Amino acid sequence: MALGKIKADTLEHSTAGSLDTSYVVNGSAKAWNSFNGTGTVAIRDSFNVSSLTDSTTGQYATVFTNSMSNGNYSHSGFAEHDGGTHALFATSNKDNHPPSTTKAGIDSFRGSDNAAVDSSQMTHIIVGDLA
Amino acid sequence: MTVTPEFQGTHLWDRLCWAKENLEGHQSDYRVVYEDSLDECAKILVPDPNWMACALQGGILPPVEVYWMLAQDEAQPDFKKHTRGYLLHNSKPIEAMTEEQAIEYLIMKDVPQSVWRDYDSGNKPKMVICRKEQLPGTREWRNAWKISEDIKATEQAA
Repeated sequence: MALGKIKADTLEHSTAGSLDTSYVVNGSAKAWNSFNGTGTVAIRDSFNVSSLTDSTTGQYATVFTNSMSNGNYSHSGFAEHDGGTHALFATSNKDNHPPSTTKAGIDSFRGSDNAAVDSSQMTHIIVGDLA
Repeated sequence: MTVTPEFQGTHLWDRLCWAKENLEGHQSDYRVVYEDSLDECAKILVPDPNWMACALQGGILPPVEVYWMLAQDEAQPDFKKHTRGYLLHNSKPIEAMTEEQAIEYLIMKDVPQSVWRDYDSGNKPKMVICRKEQLPGTREWRNAWKISEDIKATEQAA
């Protein structure tokens, strides 16, 4: 990445119209995290993440390096269990109420019986405004 | 050796973009086990490999005190949004740290102050730094994990 700057308010395609660059800035993911939530929990890869909190079975929190501006950001996640036999869902957990500008919590639970479960393939993405 | 550009005044987000492109992630063997509630099981802080690369490189991350100032702002009852985010971007970045220093920084950033300020004042430590091999190898009874009452905070990791 070059450290030079291009300042522009609009991107214009030769035939397909133009786009305000604020759409790009506001619409980009501000943090993401891909981690193994089983065995010895570890982060595989990420962006804008300083650490992962392993709180208990199926419960984690992604902690940001560059804080979010406020708690009104959007976040989502996905988890896969037993080679995809069970679908899991990630939602905010009690570690994130009220929403914090420094971390976003997720729960992983099995859709069939709502039991909290760990997953080897967990992903988390955060969209919103940076501080 | 990769040289860090002069980053003071550069948005922290842009620095992380540079680091992602230029630095190799570093998987730390360290974990921080802590208890912030008597009623809950122990939590484990897992360092991020890309963040650790930034810490070891130096010249990228802001001083940890910046996060404390932002936390104070957020704790105000009328907090709506951060208005001092510039502290993250304009403060002089910290120099390269050793992995151990980086873990200490991370504790002061990501573990509640109520835990690390007096982690060794009770009947047992509220926080322990260990190597990942020292944690249970499976997640069995994960919701019952607690720091052992026999452990000493200053005990040398085996």
